[in-house]
Order: sequence, then structure tokens, then C-alpha cells
Amino acid sequence: MEFLLPAIPAMTALLFILLRGKRLLHTISIISSILLAVVGCFITKDIISLGIIESSVLGGLFYIDSLSIITLDVVIVIALITSIYTIGYLEEELKHGKITLERLKVYYILMYTFIFTIVLALTAKNMGIMWIAIEATTLASAFLVGFYNDKHSIEAAWKYVIICSIGIAIALLGIILMHLSSAGVIESSHLLEWKTLYNNAQALNSPTLRLAFIFILIGFGTKAGLAPLHTWLPDAHSQAPSPISALLSGVLLNTAIYGIIRAVAIVNKNLGSNTFTGGLLIGFGLLSILTAALFILTQKDYKRMLAYSSIEHMGIITLAIGFFTPLSVFGGLLHMINHSFTKSMLFLSSGNILQKYNTKEISKIKGLLKVLPVTGVVFLLGLFAIAGTPPFSVFASEYSIIASIFEKSSFILGAVFILLLAIVFAGIALTMFRIFYGSNASKDVTPGETNKAGVAAILVLLVIIMVSGLYLPTQIKDLIENAQKIIIGG
Amino acid sequence: MDNFLDALSVLILFSSFVLVANKRAKSYIKTFRMQSALIALATGIMGIESFFADGHIDILIVCVLIIALKVIYIPNLLNKTLANVEYKVEKDFFYNIPLLIFICCSITAFCYTCILTIHGINTDVLNMQVVNSIALILIGLFFMISRKKIIGQMVGFLVIENGLFVAAIFSTHGMPFIVDLGIFIDLITAIMIMGIMAFKINEKFDSIDINKLKNLRG
Repeated sequence: MEFLLPAIPAMTALLFILLRGKRLLHTISIISSILLAVVGCFITKDIISLGIIESSVLGGLFYIDSLSIITLDVVIVIALITSIYTIGYLEEELKHGKITLERLKVYYILMYTFIFTIVLALTAKNMGIMWIAIEATTLASAFLVGFYNDKHSIEAAWKYVIICSIGIAIALLGIILMHLSSAGVIESSHLLEWKTLYNNAQALNSPTLRLAFIFILIGFGTKAGLAPLHTWLPDAHSQAPSPISALLSGVLLNTAIYGIIRAVAIVNKNLGSNTFTGGLLIGFGLLSILTAALFILTQKDYKRMLAYSSIEHMGIITLAIGFFTPLSVFGGLLHMINHSFTKSMLFLSSGNILQKYNTKEISKIKGLLKVLPVTGVVFLLGLFAIAGTPPFSVFASEYSIIASIFEKSSFILGAVFILLLAIVFAGIALTMFRIFYGSNASKDVTPGETNKAGVAAILVLLVIIMVSGLYLPTQIKDLIENAQKIIIGG
Repeated sequence: MDNFLDALSVLILFSSFVLVANKRAKSYIKTFRMQSALIALATGIMGIESFFADGHIDILIVCVLIIALKVIYIPNLLNKTLANVEYKVEKDFFYNIPLLIFICCSITAFCYTCILTIHGINTDVLNMQVVNSIALILIGLFFMISRKKIIGQMVGFLVIENGLFVAAIFSTHGMPFIVDLGIFIDLITAIMIMGIMAFKINEKFDSIDINKLKNLRG
């Protein structure tokens, strides 16, 4: 069953290569993402009852536990919503002659290859395979970032490929060193398997493992967009087509963080405390939030603003993982989920705005609430949500992270953290809220929503983040708690 | 045999010094080819050793893959990319060469002092060969920032990858086979994508100078 998860997107990508015809491509995309969601449901059910799925298919390539499944489920939901949204988005682009039918086909092939690599990274048993899959995510999405083939998007794509490939190469050095630290401890048939490494963590060679962790953090941190390694992120997110921005921000960054979390669990178990990893993670986390806060304050481009906000939230998650108390890790994992849904919603709405106004500049947009009544409202609520306003879910997870910091009486850290969050809130309010008011000055813009199905998909996300902010179903809460126990142990 | 491998690892490191001293894009590719051939030799020796010791042919297959990909295919691909944009590539460096070589020496010395002074590190496994490979990775990174043209960056990326491969093969006789295979697939795709992008950048920017890629800021 579990091999179906990567198999479905892979088969879909192959089908896209063979088939042609716009309508057919759209239909296959929807069917495939629904199938993926169905398989995802069954596997989630299995995980809730069994805890761990280890398959013997393909020489035992797959391993899924609660930590993988919560990340995977986010991928599956966002993939489904994005595929619904994509139809309207691409149709609009076709209508305005921005892309051709041939490009539409390329888009779908790459999009499903991208989803395939992400799913593979999250289901792989072997740290080496996980690395290969994460590197492949960069390669699959490189041409998606440069999809529009203009000067800006090609520049962004080149930066993306070079910075992420080098970063990920550094992570490979870390994984090689981790492999080295297990020399003589692990049987040759279980080399580099996360579970075996974790179970034998105490026997690994600590100094080598510490060295390994630094490289892994730098490597996957580049991919997760932690400052000061974030420079590719605003470019790639702002230049990619909006559905791809939603996938990059909502799904890809989580995958990189997932890699870091797996490494943290092993290293902390080996060292017996979080002093070493905590210092590094909290440092990187705070620096990312600070960098993002400063750039948000002076931002002129709304897609870049959303990208910097992603850097901020990756910083928050890293900080929470670095803190390593049960509550903070729980908050961090919950934040991963909440941020993904909220940010994808915002990026998808920004796609509607971009298609309507044809500009990414904040100052050129006025009267959004009148021109795009639904998207405008969703975008406004989404901005409040991402800034951490109740009753949205981001508030709930940020609250538990802050509570965990004060629970351990790190008052200065807590104060700095809250101050930075306040700066981000002010930044978003100052730069963004002006686009909603006023009357539309330009006559080229005709009011009214174009992508109806897309708007419905966005509304689903809005419902998800509103409901989960107030009430978290017990099963999901249990899953996150299990994942937290996997990371912390005990 | 160990002495021979030690000598090879030093030679591989030395080839990266040669690379840094190269002035023209064509010579980068030649040096890269030479470095890959040295790596293939080291891998071949280990492969034969492990074949006679316990009958595994994994490392020998990896050796053949290196010859096919890194000695033959990728340099040819780079040459082709270069041919597409050749009339624009001239000298590609902006520091003088003795200074670059001096920095490379410092990087190597830095690696030795850093890694060998970490308390409690396992010196049996983390030996001179591994330290040389880490120095190779850092020199690859340095090479990337010392060149302005896209071809230079691609070669730098390949040198980093070579360094990683050497680190893995010298320290643990390679990763699990399937992982090695996956890394090769990733590498080949990455280089192809970079090649296509170099072409596109040349088309749009009328140059492959990365200093022109400065539109996106803030």
C-alpha cells in the first residue's frame, strides 16, 4: 500500500509525457491527486492503529511513522488543493497568451515529478535516499521556478539551482559523516537507516556525529530557507507561478525541516541533551525571524513579502525544535502544519491578484476588496492569520511555542521572540493593508473573480485554518503527540 | 596499498590546486577530467581489493560509472555548453593566481588543524584521506566564488561533488550501493539542468557573466 504513495505521482508524470490534450491533462491531474488523498487517508488510518509502517516492497525502501505521516498529509492536502486551483490558473494564462499548450504539458510533468520527489523524501527509510529525494526536489522544481522564461525568472531559477544544490551537497557531507560515526556499530544491511541509527544512537561516535550535525543543519537549512542561507527563497517564491509558490512554501520547506528534525533526534539521543543542537537551532531560528522581520518592514513586492514571511515561520519552527521540550516540539510540528495551510492559501490568493492586476508591486494595487471580493477577504484574513492573530491556527501553535519558552523560564529569549513577532505583525500591517482600501484607479482591471474553482479551493483552506485554530481533532492531536515522542524519545 | 591511496588522495587534492590556477574555461574542463580519472583510479583499486577480499563488485560498478560519467560524458557536455557560448568566454578570474593558490593552501591547513584537533574524533576512520577530501570540497566552494562565469560555477559544483564522493569512498568504502547510484542520477540531472540554464541565460542576458544576474534584490 505505502509504495502507492510515491508511485501515483510518478505514474501521473509518466502519463503526462505520453498524453496530450488540455482537458485530458487537467482531468488526470485531478484524478491523480484525489487518488493520492484516498491512499493517504488509508495510510493515516493504518498509522493511527499500528504506529509504524515498514514495508518489504522493493527491498524495504519505505518507512512511515507519525512524524512522516503528518508531513505527508500536509503534502497530500496541498497537492489536491493546488491541482484544483491550477486548472483555472493555467486556463487564464493560456487565454492571455502567457504560456502555450506545450508549456502546459511541461508544467504538469514537472509539477507531478516535484510531488513525487517530495513524497519519496518523506517515506524513505534510508537517510541517503531521503537526501537523494530532497536534492531531486530542487531539480524537479528548477524549471518550474523559471517557468515564464523571462530575465527575472531565469535569474531566480539559476540562483535556486546553484544555492540549493551546493547547500544540499553540504548536507550530503553531513550524512557521510553520520554514516562514518556508525562505523562498526550497525550491520551492513541496515546502513544509514534512520530507525537503526536512532535505536543505536548511544553507540555512535559523538564528535563525528556533532560534526555531521553541523553540516546537515547548514545543508538542509539552506533548503529550508534559514537566514543567512535564505537568499534563493524570496527570488524563487516570487518568480514561480503562484500554485508552484504555494507548493514550494507549503510543502518543500517542510520537507527540508523534516530532514533536520530526523538528524536532531539522533544527535540529541546520542549526546543525552539538547545543549549542542539547541544552541545552533535557536541561533539560526532567531536570526531568520530577525532577517525576515527587517525585510518585511521594507517590502515593495507582495509575493516577496509572503516569501520572507515563510523564512520567519521556518525560523519559528527551528527555534521550537531547538528548544526540545515536549510542548515546544509539539508546537513546532503543529506550526509546520498551520504555516503550510495558511501560506499556501495566501500564495494561491496572490496568484488571483497577480492575474487580475498584472503587477507584483504593492503600491500599484488599490481597492482589492472591491475588485476581488472573495479573494480579497481571504487574503486579508490570511494576512491576519499568518501574522498570528486569533482565532486562526497559527496563533495556537505560536502560543504553545511561547508558553514552552516561558515554562522553562527563558524570559529573555521569550521576550526577544515576542518582540520579533510584533515587528513582523507591524511590518505586514504597514506594507500590506493599504492594498485593500481605496478605489481602483486603473481602468484595465475589471472587477470579478475568474478562477471560480480555485477560489472554492482557497476557501477550503480558510475553513481548515479557522477550525483547527479553535479545535484540533483528537486523532490529529494524538498523531502529533506521537511524532513528538518519536523525536524526543520516551 | 594504503600508501598508494594516500598518495592518490594527495594528488586529487593537488589537482584542485591546478584547477584554481587555470585561467581559461577550457582548461577547467581538462583539469576536471583529470581529477575524475584519478578518482576512478582510486575507486578501481578499492574495487579490486574488495572483490578479492569478499567478492563484492559494487565498488567496481561505481568505478565504471565514474569513468563513463565524470571522465567522458560530463566533460563532453561542458565542452558542448561552452561551444554554444564560446565567443563570449575569455579569461575568467579576477584575483591573481599566486594569491588564489595561497588561499587554497590556507584552506587545506585550516582543514587539518580544525578536524584533527577536535577532541575524541575517531582518527582510525577520519584519517588523512578524509581530511584531504574535505579540503577538496572547500576549495571547490572557493573556486566557485573566485570565478564570474557560469561554466566556472558548474565546474566548481562538480569539484564539490567529487570531494563528497572521495570523502565517502575513502572513509567507508562508499555509501550503500543504491545511495551511490541515486547520487549519480541526481548529479547527471543537475548538470544537464545547469547546462540548459546556461544556454537560456546566454540567450536572455547576452552573456554568461553571473555579475549580470542582479535584477532581484531586497
